[in-house]
Amino acid sequence: MAKLSLQVREALKRQVPKVAKKDLNREVRKAFKRTKNQMMKEFLQLPITQELMAGPQASNISGTLRGVTNLFSFIGFDAGEKPVDAIIRALENTNIQFRKELKKGNKLGAEYSINLPTPEQIFVMTPMPWALGRSWARGIESGISGLGFLLRKNNRGRSGRAIQSRVKVRGGAFKPTPYITAFLQKYKKEFECLEYKK
Amino acid sequence: MKEQFQHRVTTSFFMWFDNFLLTKGEAFSNKTGEFLYYEDNRLDSAYKAYGSPYKTWVTDSSVTGATIPTGLFIGGNFSGRDDGVVLDFENGRALVSGSDEDLTVTGEFAVKDFNVYITNDTEDDLIIENKYTVNSRLPSASYGAIAPYDDVVPAVFISTANSTNEPFAFGGLQNTSVSVKAVILAEDTYQLDGVLSIFMDSVNECITSIPMTGYPTTELGDLKDGSYSYTGTEAGYTDDRKFYVDSVTTSKLTDRDRKSLAHEMYVGFIDFDIKQMRMRFA
Repeated sequence: MAKLSLQVREALKRQVPKVAKKDLNREVRKAFKRTKNQMMKEFLQLPITQELMAGPQASNISGTLRGVTNLFSFIGFDAGEKPVDAIIRALENTNIQFRKELKKGNKLGAEYSINLPTPEQIFVMTPMPWALGRSWARGIESGISGLGFLLRKNNRGRSGRAIQSRVKVRGGAFKPTPYITAFLQKYKKEFECLEYKK
Repeated sequence: MKEQFQHRVTTSFFMWFDNFLLTKGEAFSNKTGEFLYYEDNRLDSAYKAYGSPYKTWVTDSSVTGATIPTGLFIGGNFSGRDDGVVLDFENGRALVSGSDEDLTVTGEFAVKDFNVYITNDTEDDLIIENKYTVNSRLPSASYGAIAPYDDVVPAVFISTANSTNEPFAFGGLQNTSVSVKAVILAEDTYQLDGVLSIFMDSVNECITSIPMTGYPTTELGDLKDGSYSYTGTEAGYTDDRKFYVDSVTTSKLTDRDRKSLAHEMYVGFIDFDIKQMRMRFA
């Protein structure tokens, strides 16, 4: 077998990492996009998200109110409001950024950062309609009083449906349910495990 | 049942909250005035009730500037606990032993700007359903004794909402998190903003763990040992592991929603996250 000249061997040595890096970057971004799409899909399928997106006419598919009224009316949103949109936008803004190259022996790698929002950032962008310093997304996890429902009822049912309920809805009726914190924890792990090996 | 963690955290938090508001906000006013007789069927017949126009009185002598009564003047002569007088700090009154209903009773005391209550009521009950007597600290034309027992506003209602344990260290140490909610009913925005501001800055404060036996008042509302100081009481429990305020969120009921209430009060909320590293059942 003919031996490659020293010049050719050196040229190959210089080119291989560049090609491999490009390849690695493309594959990592592909894996990121796959996980992000999966995250968006899963978020939109969460019963709480779906119930809130369905507005004042929704039934309590999340089971958080034991079937009485629905989350949208219970929290006290006005008809036409889209409370989940802020979270969707924040999740959609999740991006990946190249940080630095990693080299170990003849192995090639790279470090990336992903700006997945934290639960605290989500809580800031999800104010309760009747007390702007409180977060309804946090309330889903820790408990929400029936105050929003009753206030809107007093206000002739701004959410359109609240006034129609004959059952007295109270804070004790709400069942706290894991939502944003558990969801983001899961995807933080998913993104941390993004890896591409070749 | 013997005292459990939840009992202790509630007592400790309540005592700390009261002291913090009184000291950081100087949220009290000293008053002097006449106490008026009224009939109280729930009271032991050995006592007659003479009420002041305000409740609740400050009990804590570690609050600088607050007048903590040790007795009052009956017919111009000072009478203290040794003379059969019980000072009911909770209900803003003096219980005088005997059957006289026409005594001239006067005294000095400090009244809290905000009464602090522990409650199990939900926020909707507190804000929408319940009816309160407004015990304004401003002088009014009618001067009478405030009725006992019922909660009056301005007030802060404290409740412990939920608690969780998270494993913290090998050997079973838990990071216990207790969520405490406070609902504030104030007469004006100045009062409300003041309370919210004080407690917004309470983040990272340490709270001494005080057992229920450390609670200062008796069933008649008087001080157990004739005097009480929060700093003195907490000094007796310095070896116990403290709680700390991990996070605080303050908010106000929006003006739009406030206008739909049946009363004229200004409503605020404080959500505390109180933590302590501890072994279970300790």
